Amino acid sequence: MNALHPNLCACGSGLRPVRCCQLDLRTLGPAAASRHLLPVVDQAIASHARGAIAEAERLCLEVLELAPGQGGALAILYQIRKAQGALPAAEALVRRLVMLDPNNVWATQELALLLFGKGDLAEAEVHARNAVRIAPADPQSHNLMGMVLTEANRPQVGEFHYRRALELLGHRPPILLANLAWNLKNQGKMAEARALYQESAAAAPAVLQTLLGWARMEETDRDFARADALLDQAAAIAPDHPSILLNRAIVRGRAKDYDGALAILDRIEQRSPGGGLGTNEMLEKGRLLDKMGRYDEAFAAFDAGKRQNVAVSGTIYMAEHAADLAARLKAYFTAGRLRIVPRAKPVESGPRPVFILGFPRSGTTMVEQTLSAHPKVSAGDELTFVHDIANLMPRMLNSPLAYPEALADLWMGDQCEGLDNLRDYYLQRARQSGIMEPGATRFTDKMPLNETHMGLIALMFPDAPLIHVLRHPLDIVLSVYSNHLTHGFYCANALETIAQHYLLVMDLVDHYRREMTLKYLAVRYEDIVDDQEAHVRRMLAFADLPFDKRCLQFHENRRYARTASYAQVTEKLYDHSRYRYRFYLKHLAPVIAMLEPVIARLGYTIDG
Amino acid sequence: MASGGPAHPAGSGTAGLVRGPEGVLGPQVLASGPQGITRTVDGWLAEAEAHEQAGRLEEAERILAQVLQAMPHYAPALHQGAILSHRRRRPQEALDRLERALAVAPDHPLFHRNICEIYRGLCRLDEAVFHGRRAVELTPDDAGANYNLGVIHYDRMEIDAAIHYARRALELDPAMAAAHFELAEALLVDGQFAEGWREYEWRFDLPGSQPLLPLKDKPQWDGRPMPEGTLLLIGDQGFGDTIQFCRYVGDVARLCPNLIMACSSEMKPIVLQQGGITQYFDRWEHAPAFDAYCPLSGLPRLFGTALESIPAPVPYVRADPAKVEHWRARLAELVPQDFQSVGVVWAGRPTHGNDFNRSMSLRTLAPLGRLPRTALVSLQMGPAMAQVAEYYGAAPLINLAAEIVDFTDTMAILEILDDIVAVDTSIVHLAGAMGRPVSVLLPFAPDWRWLRERADTPWYPSVRLFRQPRSAAWAEPVAAVTAHLARQAGTRGRGPRS
Repeated sequence: MNALHPNLCACGSGLRPVRCCQLDLRTLGPAAASRHLLPVVDQAIASHARGAIAEAERLCLEVLELAPGQGGALAILYQIRKAQGALPAAEALVRRLVMLDPNNVWATQELALLLFGKGDLAEAEVHARNAVRIAPADPQSHNLMGMVLTEANRPQVGEFHYRRALELLGHRPPILLANLAWNLKNQGKMAEARALYQESAAAAPAVLQTLLGWARMEETDRDFARADALLDQAAAIAPDHPSILLNRAIVRGRAKDYDGALAILDRIEQRSPGGGLGTNEMLEKGRLLDKMGRYDEAFAAFDAGKRQNVAVSGTIYMAEHAADLAARLKAYFTAGRLRIVPRAKPVESGPRPVFILGFPRSGTTMVEQTLSAHPKVSAGDELTFVHDIANLMPRMLNSPLAYPEALADLWMGDQCEGLDNLRDYYLQRARQSGIMEPGATRFTDKMPLNETHMGLIALMFPDAPLIHVLRHPLDIVLSVYSNHLTHGFYCANALETIAQHYLLVMDLVDHYRREMTLKYLAVRYEDIVDDQEAHVRRMLAFADLPFDKRCLQFHENRRYARTASYAQVTEKLYDHSRYRYRFYLKHLAPVIAMLEPVIARLGYTIDG
Repeated sequence: MASGGPAHPAGSGTAGLVRGPEGVLGPQVLASGPQGITRTVDGWLAEAEAHEQAGRLEEAERILAQVLQAMPHYAPALHQGAILSHRRRRPQEALDRLERALAVAPDHPLFHRNICEIYRGLCRLDEAVFHGRRAVELTPDDAGANYNLGVIHYDRMEIDAAIHYARRALELDPAMAAAHFELAEALLVDGQFAEGWREYEWRFDLPGSQPLLPLKDKPQWDGRPMPEGTLLLIGDQGFGDTIQFCRYVGDVARLCPNLIMACSSEMKPIVLQQGGITQYFDRWEHAPAFDAYCPLSGLPRLFGTALESIPAPVPYVRADPAKVEHWRARLAELVPQDFQSVGVVWAGRPTHGNDFNRSMSLRTLAPLGRLPRTALVSLQMGPAMAQVAEYYGAAPLINLAAEIVDFTDTMAILEILDDIVAVDTSIVHLAGAMGRPVSVLLPFAPDWRWLRERADTPWYPSVRLFRQPRSAAWAEPVAAVTAHLARQAGTRGRGPRS
C-alpha cells in the first residue's frame, strides 16, 4: 500500500494496485481491444518528447487505468518514473512490459540495465542474455552482457561481448572503450586498459565515469600520482563530486596519508545532502581510523556503514536458507552413502584446479597470489562454477531433485558418469574464462565459501588439492564487518550473523572431513605471516608443485586481485593484520561466547 | 559370534566397585527427606539405591545429594554417593566422596578397596596401590582384595607382585576365574607361557563371558590328530586375537583334515588364507555337524608354544593384488609426490575393557603432524574417526578410513603405506601378519602378548614397540616413534607411488 495515497500501488507507479502490482495478466484483453486509446497514447508520447512530463504522466495513468497492458503508456510512464528516481515503480513497469512482450528488445535491455544498477547481477544476467538472444546483432545487448559479466567476476566472457559490440558498431564509442578498459583492468591487463582509457578520454575528455575508472585503474596499478592527476581532471568537470572524493580518499589511504584521506571523507560528509556518508564511504572511513589506531571511532564507522547498508538494501542474513542447505548437505554427504557413489575420473589433460577455500577475509587472496606467482599456476580468482554446477545439477543429471539430493541420480545407468560431465563442464568453463596462462598445469579457484560445497568438489575432483585458509575467527568476523560483502547468504551486515554463518560453515567442513576422504590441507594465515617460506613450501609440496622463490614475492605478482583484499596483497607480508581483534574485544563481545569453542578447537586463544 | 571374547584382566580391571552390607556404619537417624517425609537415612539410601539399580541415576543422585547436604559426614551415604558418581562417570566427584568417607572411617576395608579402583581408573597408581595394600592389610583373607591388589601391581608392571597376589587370591578362593585370568596374564607377559596358557583357559569362566558354543554336547579338542572326525575351530576373541592365532590353522589342518571354522564374516578373507579350512560360517544355524571343537585362542597351549618357539611364518596374510592396484591409484591421488605415507590409528574399540588404557586421542599424535614431507593416512574406524575434523597439523591428514569397506581394503592399504603408527588394535596384528612395518604405541602395562620391556616381538618380526615409561605417559613413545619416522624418511626414497 502507498503510504501517502492508500488507494495507490505501493511501488509508486501512481496506478491503483489492481492495475499495477496486483494485476492479473490473464484478465487483460487483446491489444486490439484498446486501440481506441492509441490517440491518447500518441498524445502522451508527444508530451513526453516536448518535456511536458506532468501531462504525459496524467495521460499514461488515464490509459493504464483503462488498459493496464498498453505497451506505449507503460513505456512512457516507466521512463518518467526512472527519471524521477522512483526505481521500484520503474522496475515494476518495465517488468510488466517484458512479461507482456518477451521479445521487446528495448524493454529487456532496460530491465537488465535497471537490475544491474541495483546490484542484482544474477537477474540482470538473465535479461541481458535474453537481450542477446532476441537481438544478437544489437550492440547494446552485448554491451549489457559485458557490463553484467564484468561485475559478476567473469570478465573474460564480458570482454568477448564488449569486443562483439565494437565489431557490430563498426566504430569505437568512448564509453564502450572505457567499459572495456574497466573490464581489462579487472583482468589485470593494465597496459591494454590504460591504452583504451587514453583513447576514450582523447575522444571524450569530459566523461566523469571514464576518468574515475581510469584513476581507479592507476591506483590499482600503484601509480598514485597518476591517479591523483586523473582525479584532478575529474574534479575540473564535477568539483566535489562524492565519487571523486571517495576515490581520492582511497588513493590517499593507499599512499598512507590517512589524515588526508579522512579529511576528504569529512568533506563528503559535510557536503552530503543528507548530512551523512554512504556505506562504502563509512566503511572506508572506519578502515582509515583503524589504521590510525582510533579503534572506537573505527568500530563506530563500521557499525554505521553496516546499518546504512541494511537501511538502503534491506538485505538481512538468510539464516533459514543457510541452515536448510547445510542440513541437506550433511544428510547427503555421509560416509556410508559415499562408499557407493562413483567419483569422477581424474583429469587427463590440461590444467587442473587447486581449490583455495576459506571464509571471506581469511587470507584466500594472499594464498592465491602466492600460488599464482608460480610459473605453473594460473590464478582463477573467484570462479562461480561450483555454485553454478550446484544450480544446474538437476538439469545436467536429469533429476527431479535439487542439489545435493540430485546426486542420487548417479546411481542410474544413464547417469553413472554424470560426475565426469559435471567435472568437464567446470573445466570447459574454466578454459573459456581465459584464465589459463601458457605453461600452467594448475589453476586456482578461490571462491570464498566454496568449502560449503567441499563434498561436491571432492566428488568431481577426487585428487584436487583443497587448501583451507584459517584465520583467527575474531579477526575474520571483524574484517568481514569492516568490508562490504554479499557472500554467505548476506551474513556480513551484523557481527552475530557473520559469526553464525562462520560456525555453520566450519561445522560443515568438520562434517566433510569426518565423512569423506579429502586431499585437504589447513593453512593458517598467521603461520604464513610468521614463517612465510616454510608454509609456502608446504602448500606447493601439497599441490605437487616444486618450490619457486617467486612465490615468496607474491606482492610483486602483477596480477590484479579483484576482491576487497587487493590493496593488502600488493604489500609485503605484514603482521598488523594478525590479531587485530585485540583492539576490538569490547566491540566483539556479542560474538565471543558463540565463537569461543571453535577458537579453542582451532588452537587459537583470545588475548586481551 | 567370535568377535569379542572375555576382556583381558588388565582391561576389566579389579572386581569393580563393591557395595557393603547396609547399615554397617553409623546410627539409624531420622531425617526429613526430599518430600518432607520423615524416614530413616538408610531408608532414603535404600530408595536411592533402588533408583540406581533401575538405571535412574539422576533420581538417585538427587536423593543422595540431599542426604549428604543434611549429613555431610555420614560414611555410608558418602560411599554410596561415590559408587553413584562412578556410574555417572564423574571420577573426581567419586574420589572426593570416598576420601571424605575414609576420613570418617579410615579403617573400612571396602572403602579402601573401592577408592583403589577409582584411583586406578584415573591412572593414579601410587594412590591406588596404597589403598589396595591397606585393604589387604585390613582383610588379609579377602580374595577380592588380594586380586585387586594383584591387578594394580600388573598396572604398575610389578609382575612378581601381581603373580604373588593372584596366587594368594586363588589360595583363598581357588575357583575365582578373574584371579586365574589375572595370573595367566601376569605369567604370559613375563614369558612363562606353559603355566600361563593353562591359566588362560579360565577366560571362559569369567563373569559375563559368553559361552563358546550354544550346546555343550561335544568335547573340546585335546590336540591329538583327528584324521576322521570333524573339528570345529572357533574364533573366540577379537579381530586382533583371530589374526594373531590363525597362524596355527595350517598346523591344525594337518592334524585334522576335516577342519571347519566359526568366525565373524569380517575375518573370513584373512582366516581362509591359512588353508585347510573346508567350511567357514558366521552363524550357528549354518554350522554343520562336528565331533570336537577348539577355541582359536587355545591353540598356543595345545601346540606347546614357548617364548622360544613362537611360530612366525610371516607373512601369513597377503593383500589381493587387484585391491592393491586400486588403492595404489587412490593413494597416488591423495598423497603428495615424494611424501612418505604413514598410516595412523589412535583408538581401539571403545567397548573393549582396556580401551581407556590402550587408546589415545589424535591430538596426542600431534608430533607426527610436524614430520616433513609426510602425509598421515588415517585408518581409524569407529567413533574416534570423528577426531580427524579436529586435526590442523602441518602434515596433511587423509581420512582414508571413510572409503574403507572391509579388511580386504585395509590389507591392500597396509601393503602400500610406508609405515604405520598404531595403538594396540587389530590393525597392528594385520600389519604384523603381513610383514609390514608397524610402530605400536603401548601403554605402560600392555596386553600380555607384547611381553616386557623389549622393543620387538617374537610374534611379528616387522613390529616395533614403543612403550609408555609410566602410566598414561604417551609423550615419550610418541616422540620416539616420531624420531624413528624422521630417520626412516631420511633413508626412504619416494612415497607410495614409486
